[in-house]
Amino acid sequence: MEELKNLKYIKLFSVSLLIYAFIGGFLFDVPALPILNESIRVLYFHVPMWFTMIFLLLISCINSFYFISRKKIIYDTKSYTYTSVAVFFGFLGILSGMIWAKFTWGSFWTNDPKLNGSAITLLIYLSYFLLRSSISDEIKKAKISSVYNIFAFAMLIPLIFILPRMTDSLHPGSGGNPGFNVYDMNAQLRMVFYPSVLGFIFLGIWISKLKLVLNVLKNDN
Amino acid sequence: MLKKIFNILYKDLKIDLSLKHLFLSVALYLVSAIYIIYVVFDFNEIYEFEIWISLFWIVILFVSITSISKSFFHESHNRNYYYYYLFSPSELIVAKLIYNFIFLLILFFIAILFYSLLLGNLFLSKNFFLLLFLGAFSISNCLTLISAISFQVKRNSVIVGILSFPIIIPILKILIDISKVSHINPSWNVIENDFYILILINIIAVSLSYILFNYLWKN
Repeated sequence: MEELKNLKYIKLFSVSLLIYAFIGGFLFDVPALPILNESIRVLYFHVPMWFTMIFLLLISCINSFYFISRKKIIYDTKSYTYTSVAVFFGFLGILSGMIWAKFTWGSFWTNDPKLNGSAITLLIYLSYFLLRSSISDEIKKAKISSVYNIFAFAMLIPLIFILPRMTDSLHPGSGGNPGFNVYDMNAQLRMVFYPSVLGFIFLGIWISKLKLVLNVLKNDN
Repeated sequence: MLKKIFNILYKDLKIDLSLKHLFLSVALYLVSAIYIIYVVFDFNEIYEFEIWISLFWIVILFVSITSISKSFFHESHNRNYYYYYLFSPSELIVAKLIYNFIFLLILFFIAILFYSLLLGNLFLSKNFFLLLFLGAFSISNCLTLISAISFQVKRNSVIVGILSFPIIIPILKILIDISKVSHINPSWNVIENDFYILILINIIAVSLSYILFNYLWKN
């Protein structure tokens, strides 16, 4: 299968980056800030989860678009697989964020625009799975869920990328900053952060490709 | 194209006038929801503006989801085949968008009438009616495609709720924010950004409904 062709390189690339990110993330020096202290290291693991989720959701949306324009069922299987892995990363992101928030902000959940955005994202994609499971006909399922996937992803854009930037938030990047902390991250953090983001994104792609092969084999039987 | 859209609108209006139970059931749903709030809440509590306005928009949320899900459901399957030969999907979706907007607007005005009758009308202003107009516009735009999607699914009464809640939350949040802020300080500057986002969401929703309905409709 063509999916398996580059899989080895993706795996090697992602694993080597992640090994570096884990060693660097736990052992390298970090700036000593009040309240945050050593918990700043969550940046290396929590933020890449969200990046991976958005990236995989984007790929899933593109595949849904391919399905409705080219009418091949493989694109729908792809989009479903990428979405399920993305939701998995989203849950990991929420979990890591919640544990971190308990120790720095004092509670597991706050009414913060980014938290609301992530919760709504997960709700939307959970209902996407429900929609899929409630239709039995394969072609109809593929068509309807592709339409919903595109619509939902487009509606997420203002929610995730615009709304949090306009309101006050506990997260960095609010109040008109460019979304990501270009201003408040120093070179030390960046040295681990960017490889970690790349590593997690490629890990997501690797898992999705494996899962895709599995799903295709399941469908064929 | 315009003529055909008017034809569909006219037909929808005729169906709703002859089958009065469709509209009346939604209106009754609305009135009972408001009455439940009246019974449950203390009169003094409701006199705080934040609670008053939030409860109002929550009622609006439930009513619009119930009513919009009806917009495709009352079409029988035979009638859909008939449409399939008569109209193009783009004409149909534009007509549905307009019809849902008008339907919601009428419902919203009934809602504010009853709501202020039972729970006081201290906070009503001219701006609030503009906001209702905006709310009906954005909610109908977002939910029309969802209703078309769930029309194709069996056991759709649950699905329509599940699909529309997460998508409607941001709009509802913006609407509540605008109404809270504009109550304290009714000037354009404070609501400008929220207003633009709402318009952006509407543009996305309408254009995607227009494009995607083509694929949904072909069977």
